[in-house]
Amino acid sequence: MTATAARTRLLPTATARGRQRRATATAYLFLAPSAIPLLLFVVYPMFRAAWTSLHEWNLLSEKSWVGLDNYADLVSDPETAAAFLHTLYYVLGVLPLTLVGGLALALGLHRAFRGRNLLRGVYFLPVVTSWIAVAIVWRWLLNPSVGIVNEALSWIGIDGPGWWTDPAWSMPSIILASAWKDLGYVMVLLLAGLQALPTDVQEAAMIDGAGWWRRLRSITLPLLTPALFFVVVITLINGFQVFDQVYAMTGGGPNGSSEVVVMRIYDMTFRYGEAGLASALSMVLFLVILLITLGQMRGERKWVNYV
Amino acid sequence: MSRRWTGTLVNALLVAGALTMVFPFLWTLSTSLTSGAGLSATPSLIPAEPSLEAYRTLFTSTPFARVILNSVGLAVAVTVIQVTTSATAAYAFARFEFPGRRVIFALYLATMMIPMQVLLVPLFEQMRDYGLIDSYLGVILPTMASAFGVFLLRQAMVTVPRELDEAATIDGAGHVRVFARIILPNVRPALATFSIFAFMSSWNAFLWPLVILRSEEMKTLPLALASLQGQFTTEWDVMMAGSIVSILPMLAIYIFAQKYIIQGVAGSGIK
Amino acid sequence: MRKRILSGIGSVAALSLALAACSSSTDGTEVSESATSDAMEPVTITYSNFISNGGNEENLQTIVDAFEAEYPYITVDVTTLPYADYFTVLQTDLAAGTTADVFDIEYATYPAYQPSGVFAPLDGVDTSAYRGDVAAAYATDGVQYALPTSFSTVVLFYNKDLFDAAGLDYPTSDWTWDDERAAAEALTDADAGVWGDYQPISYYEYYKALVQAGGQFLTDDGSAVAFNSPEGLAAAEWLVEKSGTVMPTAEQGAGTADFDTSLWADGKLGMWHTGIWMFGAADGSDFAWDIAVEPGDVQNASAVFSNAVAVSATSEHQDAAALFAEFLSASDTMVDVRLETGWELPAISDTATLSTYLDQGDPDNRQAVFDSLDGIALPPIIGDNQAQMQDIIGNELTEAAAGRITAEEALANAESKINDLLG
Repeated sequence: MTATAARTRLLPTATARGRQRRATATAYLFLAPSAIPLLLFVVYPMFRAAWTSLHEWNLLSEKSWVGLDNYADLVSDPETAAAFLHTLYYVLGVLPLTLVGGLALALGLHRAFRGRNLLRGVYFLPVVTSWIAVAIVWRWLLNPSVGIVNEALSWIGIDGPGWWTDPAWSMPSIILASAWKDLGYVMVLLLAGLQALPTDVQEAAMIDGAGWWRRLRSITLPLLTPALFFVVVITLINGFQVFDQVYAMTGGGPNGSSEVVVMRIYDMTFRYGEAGLASALSMVLFLVILLITLGQMRGERKWVNYV
Repeated sequence: MSRRWTGTLVNALLVAGALTMVFPFLWTLSTSLTSGAGLSATPSLIPAEPSLEAYRTLFTSTPFARVILNSVGLAVAVTVIQVTTSATAAYAFARFEFPGRRVIFALYLATMMIPMQVLLVPLFEQMRDYGLIDSYLGVILPTMASAFGVFLLRQAMVTVPRELDEAATIDGAGHVRVFARIILPNVRPALATFSIFAFMSSWNAFLWPLVILRSEEMKTLPLALASLQGQFTTEWDVMMAGSIVSILPMLAIYIFAQKYIIQGVAGSGIK
Repeated sequence: MRKRILSGIGSVAALSLALAACSSSTDGTEVSESATSDAMEPVTITYSNFISNGGNEENLQTIVDAFEAEYPYITVDVTTLPYADYFTVLQTDLAAGTTADVFDIEYATYPAYQPSGVFAPLDGVDTSAYRGDVAAAYATDGVQYALPTSFSTVVLFYNKDLFDAAGLDYPTSDWTWDDERAAAEALTDADAGVWGDYQPISYYEYYKALVQAGGQFLTDDGSAVAFNSPEGLAAAEWLVEKSGTVMPTAEQGAGTADFDTSLWADGKLGMWHTGIWMFGAADGSDFAWDIAVEPGDVQNASAVFSNAVAVSATSEHQDAAALFAEFLSASDTMVDVRLETGWELPAISDTATLSTYLDQGDPDNRQAVFDSLDGIALPPIIGDNQAQMQDIIGNELTEAAAGRITAEEALANAESKINDLLG
């Protein structure tokens, strides 16, 4: 009696456990096609980079252990410091241009009017094109002697600068091209933010007779902070990885004036054969991106005004 | 000033801005049609004698036709693989309860923080060990899985009503059938968005192919474009022709899929 | 003119092809005999080069065609890269193990790569065919690791028409910097877009100008740099002061590859410091031109570039690759092509063959090429960090040329950076 009762109670539990085990196995099977590549080509290389960063290695001979020497070298290396400064220069140049420009576009194109989607499409177009094509086009636009930009400047009596041939203007050239390419991207992020805003608050303010500027400053912008904050973070993260446009527009020059962090990693590895040092710099770059991401997680909780 | 006039003014500004955005493309096109555009003068926006000479030079003196094929083949392969691996993983996260699910999902998302730039040296070393340098497989392997794709597709799959799978399960369908027949058809827009993104990022990828693809006939469009700069330093018409050729396919896709692309960016922040 | 020479070579090549088809071999060396008598497996080898880039691609193809005619079982797949990209690509390929079977190197890169074991030893090669000193530069511990393909010097090209129009005497080997400067100033006509002089602002020009001024780049023991000296400053100023006065600035296009070639071809350049590998490209201009030994300051000194080919240690076809390397550096076809088209000089020991070089015309004064060898400035070599050192000098001088820093500052910066590399 009792035994049968126990058996009838036990049986479903056993099959449930079996079913659960089978489900888990199936789930892992569905995960495998992505988990294995991620483990093999992201996680494992990450450890390998850390290991290599403790060696001196020219990619050709055997690695030789140097401990933390590479990191010490990076700290005392003025060109690495310069590479971080150039990267920061890039981010601080692109951010205000795309943020203000993208916000203006988003506000303008959030309004309902005919042709709105076409205009959005046009502003977004540069985002989908390859950076190399865009970089070549901008090198041509900014050609100091026969480029259209300096030609146009000369019509209004301005003697245009040397753009990518001049160390003082190489970063501004890259920033200009990047802002042109990323403007539509920021616009779309902010448009999504605007669409998510509650319309009733706006309408109430309008009925109260608040002017356009007043509504923007005291209602729209505060409500838009999450989106704006996201744009800032994503620009920072992407900015620290900048490479393609630098490679194709200036190659880091003239005289290293636009050598950004990733360009330096590439040059160290494949031009100067310093793969150990390059790995150390990669680890530092990863740390920076990690810190920005952690900052984002904290910031989202603390500063963003969700109202 | 009346509201109507302000609106018109804003629209006029927006149109003017849009023209500025398009201008570089137009000038690129006109330069590519101006034979011998070079170092002596600024070419005009409307070429006096339009010529396809630059395009002829491009296709005869470089393996550009082959390069286009390489780019198309790689982009299609990477897209198919990424969509497959992402969709299966998304299904696991959306429909299964298993130990470690939350942690594993967090780890997937964490891999998004590690960009290719950081892994350049170890991946190069790894591909060398496998003898995969200068091979398409070497390009594809590190981009087989996309945590972003998993995230995007999972978000879509959790919105599919569970009743649908349960009904199918009662009818005797296994997980593979539920996945293929019920879930996938119901997340088509997300699949379309992600496919376009995967295609776009593979089409425009530069740093990793630059390192791993060594021979001329293996190269993709961005690589071939970059080496045009060394080859035709002062022949801007040829370089602009190359740029136009590499922009056109993406432009065509963009015109047809604009909605998905913009929604994808807006929903995820990935470009 | 150039066309006729080229088609002439074409028919020679066609003829040798026909001969090769009938008889066993055209020059009858043992190697080729054994090669044709055995039924050899067909192989394809790859060759990566910069030496033919910028005008000598067809000349290289002529040599390759002749090689393939002589060794019908070997096919050579040639890749040509611009000099500016070549060594980054080579470094990556060496690291990847994807190097071409045969590849170009130069005098200064040999010591940086040889210790890594990337070059296959070339045991079977008869090195007596080469100029002894040049061959020795590519041997380590008595083993030959690369074969010298050519050497070349940098001379002063000048546009006779522009000199005539300005009523100036042509440059001679007795000229000094002062003479060149005076002529350059007289020739420059900014309104007409004519520039008097063009000398690249680079490491290569600098170490040479330094010797011309009587200075030296490294201390005698090679442990530190020695160019931050009055002579070093004179050399730096000599280079950078041209920019914007008698020579276009970087903004005007200088420093962009091929810019100087176009300027010369357009007849808008009075004097041009460039290598004898430009003879082919400079020929066919519609103005008269000639060359002279580069003017010196306290002494004459010319830069000599030596290029060589090596066989990759990872090549699967080392025998075929070595045959090609040897053909490329010592065959009669190569000598003929190089001499007839004026594409650098073969580094062969049989100097009598070279005498025909003098009679090829355009430029007439080919004797200057041999005269320039009387005073040679050899490139300073520091091993592993060679590429970094070269970049540092080039970058600092470019800054000074643009007027953003003084020549003194450029030298002081370069001194501290390069001493860091050495220390």
